[in-house]
Amino acid sequence: MDYDVLVVGAGIAGMESAIKLGDMGKKVLLVEKEGSVGGRVILLSKVFPTLDCASCITTPRMAASIHHDNITAQTYTDVQAIRRSPDGGFRVTVHRKARYVDEAACTGCQLCENACSVSVPDQFNYNLIARRAAYIPFPQAVPKKAVIEREGTSPCTDSCPAGIKAHGYVSLIRSGKYEEAFQLILEATPLVGTLGRACYAPCESECTRGDLEGTLPIRRLKRFVADRHYAEHDGPGIEAPAANGMSVAIVGSGPAGLTAAWQLARQGYRVKIFEADKEPGGFLRYALPTYRLPQDVVEQDIRNVTALGVEIATETPVRDPDALKLDGFDAVLLAMGTPLSTGMGVPGEELGGVMGGLDFLRDLRHGTLPDLGGKRVVIVGGGNVAMDAARTARRLGARETLVAYRRGREEMPAHKSEVDDAEAEGVAFQFLVAPVAVVGDAMGRVQGLRCQRMELGQPDASGRRRPQPVAGSEFVIPCDVVVAAIGMAPDTANLARLLTLEGRRVKVDAKTLQSEVPYIFAAGDVVMGPSDITQAVGQGRRAAHMIDRWLQGQEMSGFAALDDRLAVIDKAKVMARQTSFSHRDPVTLHLEHQQAPRDFQEIERTLSEEEALRGAGSCLDCGVCSECGQCVAACPPDAIHLEMHDQTYDVEVGAVVLATGFKLFDAALKTDYGFGRFPNVITATQMDRQLAPTRPFNTVLRPSDGRVPDRIAYVSCVGSRDKTMGNPLCSKICCMYTAKQNQLIMGALPLADVAVHYMDVRAAGKRYEEFYEQAKAMGANYIKGRVAKITEKDNGNLILRYEDIDNGGVITEAEYDLVVLAVGVQPSREAERLFPDETLTLDDFFFVGEADEDLSSGKTNLPGVFVAGAASGAKDIVDSILHAGSAVAQAAAHLEEAGAKKVTV
Amino acid sequence: MSRIPRDIREVIREEPLMHRHILKAVAAGPRTVPEIAEAIGHPSEEALFWVMGMRRYGLLTESKEPTDEGFFTYAAVGGGVAR
Repeated sequence: MDYDVLVVGAGIAGMESAIKLGDMGKKVLLVEKEGSVGGRVILLSKVFPTLDCASCITTPRMAASIHHDNITAQTYTDVQAIRRSPDGGFRVTVHRKARYVDEAACTGCQLCENACSVSVPDQFNYNLIARRAAYIPFPQAVPKKAVIEREGTSPCTDSCPAGIKAHGYVSLIRSGKYEEAFQLILEATPLVGTLGRACYAPCESECTRGDLEGTLPIRRLKRFVADRHYAEHDGPGIEAPAANGMSVAIVGSGPAGLTAAWQLARQGYRVKIFEADKEPGGFLRYALPTYRLPQDVVEQDIRNVTALGVEIATETPVRDPDALKLDGFDAVLLAMGTPLSTGMGVPGEELGGVMGGLDFLRDLRHGTLPDLGGKRVVIVGGGNVAMDAARTARRLGARETLVAYRRGREEMPAHKSEVDDAEAEGVAFQFLVAPVAVVGDAMGRVQGLRCQRMELGQPDASGRRRPQPVAGSEFVIPCDVVVAAIGMAPDTANLARLLTLEGRRVKVDAKTLQSEVPYIFAAGDVVMGPSDITQAVGQGRRAAHMIDRWLQGQEMSGFAALDDRLAVIDKAKVMARQTSFSHRDPVTLHLEHQQAPRDFQEIERTLSEEEALRGAGSCLDCGVCSECGQCVAACPPDAIHLEMHDQTYDVEVGAVVLATGFKLFDAALKTDYGFGRFPNVITATQMDRQLAPTRPFNTVLRPSDGRVPDRIAYVSCVGSRDKTMGNPLCSKICCMYTAKQNQLIMGALPLADVAVHYMDVRAAGKRYEEFYEQAKAMGANYIKGRVAKITEKDNGNLILRYEDIDNGGVITEAEYDLVVLAVGVQPSREAERLFPDETLTLDDFFFVGEADEDLSSGKTNLPGVFVAGAASGAKDIVDSILHAGSAVAQAAAHLEEAGAKKVTV
Repeated sequence: MSRIPRDIREVIREEPLMHRHILKAVAAGPRTVPEIAEAIGHPSEEALFWVMGMRRYGLLTESKEPTDEGFFTYAAVGGGVAR
């Protein structure tokens, strides 16, 4: 047996139960779902009828329940299931939610809260004010430890193959923290400006806002912070770390190689990149035309890398990775990409005027491309390289530019925006055609491309429908130049003696990217085949992480950026958080495409600051915490660890005390009263917060405009004694907390008039009647008669329509600044789900049933399971404490009896 | 007030976005919530959420006494650096 008793819920009844049992020498496990013990009582201003400070009477019990020698208190924890054990006890499945904070290290300083970039309603102030995703529940919280609210990985972040925290930089931009946003992206890759332009933005495809009026401009937000940073800085804006004495050689300076170099250099490695071409950048330099990615942006991104001391040797092809090892490098990363164009494999491919897609784009950069002025160009292929080649041909003066693709438009692997842009620039498309031969003239020059028509058959391995030739359908497309942009391949022939190849790709472990030669790793397209920049960046990050682990002699794991993220949050859950969404125009850029473009000027402009803020301001904070990392940076004792995980485990207990409390009536259901529609209609729990020393506002204020109210009305029995709301029961506490609040308001706002619209007053308790009379004596005006309807005036004032029973039942209207609804108590329905193998009996009103309420208070129908406090019905604090005492006595008796039986056996 | 208020979560989510506008609104001197609301072009019940959030996290502070009309005024703390 791990514990004698499990107590579920650490409100006043749960704390009392745990403390009393602990005092009796019982070992208690106290489980509380919130981040602090204390329940609802600690949130009150004062208690009736003594007007004692709620904090003063509650905090000693909170401290005792945490620090008692016999109590193990676990906050931010749920009980998932309670099953009966063969020995008569219970096996309890406990789910400890990750706080993402080391409780031992956290000092409760709240610096994380101040730094947090996500604002959410504060449930501890009943949504009157904002708190942060990083928060301490309330000032008197016990334990006073922060919680980071994370409900999952946001879809934008989850979809990024590079592990870039898209939600994080969006939330930082929303807060005006542009440089911090840039630095957050830099944690993943130095290619901030590049990805801000050339990434295909899977984040935007997954953005939840896309299910409403349109996605956030996440990629262009990245460009926005990059452009701002580069306008002010030449380099990353961070210092190079101290050298760690080890070195890594990287072959290839494309996105994978540059990212790996960046990551390794930040960890103190000496890194040298070997690039075969004249300039570093790989595909970024040679395959992406400058109207999409200007060269100065690539150079700025590369300067991030060289600023950390990374050396780049250009025109230095590596034929033998062995030699690098012999030169003293501790590890080698192969990241050469796919520099070879795949041929069409048709006759006539050797004719002048036929070239590969990559060669075409590379020759453009080298200035060796033949003049295309007035020529007819056919691009074979349907990928992004084909689109780049076609649009480049348009800019070079081609008379006609035709893309010939063997499948249909829907099956094109190119991104839709690329296809649309190409079409907008005058590129023509011919679908369902495949080349058969290149037709030449006597001089060996291209005259045309012989093609055959295709039709689509069954889907192939890629999921796309397989093209099949149509017999007898051959025809010739007249042209002067053929660009075969049908595929790319790595240049790895020289590696075959050393490494295993899969086709031309280097074979490595998919997780570690390590080859069978331990010091050789490979990443990017040389491993994956043709992919895209962002995936290559993700591979570069992974390779750097694994190289570091290998060189440091550590286990080859722990790549949290991509392998250990929280599960992506369900979008339906995000949408369900709100009852309505106001429309926000998506931030879109209208691109002015020319039918016959003649220059390579960048087409897309950067976002203005206003557009960036408007775009970022549309974020729904899907995962709640954005992973912006500001809390981690702000925490002096380094207590925040976003890599923490929930824990689920079983414990054995001898008995169970259910102290799951109650829930408050949802005042919005009483639609005639306007709660949720009229800002100045609030609940009494919200008023209690306004009256508490730790109040959300500086004093009692109207939510509509922040004015101190002069005329305040209470409406009693809202959701209680009301069969139309399904609750005929009296909630027992409303009359007295109303009288309490009347007195506190008249103390806080001496000039305010307070009226109470009531059916009748129930003051059945020691000194309760006197307390009620005291409220009236202080000036509270009690008006008998139920309120039928509340309407709102243009100035936010409220008109109450009611039957004035004490004055002949006349229908009367009265105007107030603020109306407080005395909401009732309802069953929480939390306890019954805890017993999957047994049925916990509820009473007629769905509170936990007591088998013999009169003589055995606290006993449920399940042997060994007891109920304490308002889980069994509406109770005030005093009654909850008394009831907890009863449940404790029953539980202790049960344990004694169970122990005696074991001895007898 | 015939408008239906926006969802509270949506309003509160915008608080960081509003910091700069509100700090700009109070730059010339303390203002009431309705005055701030008018300056930033949003309803006053939304401005109250943002002002109180900023007060909670130390960006704004209130006047000692309300005006004759019952409104406190709010001023930037430490000059209110709008980012």
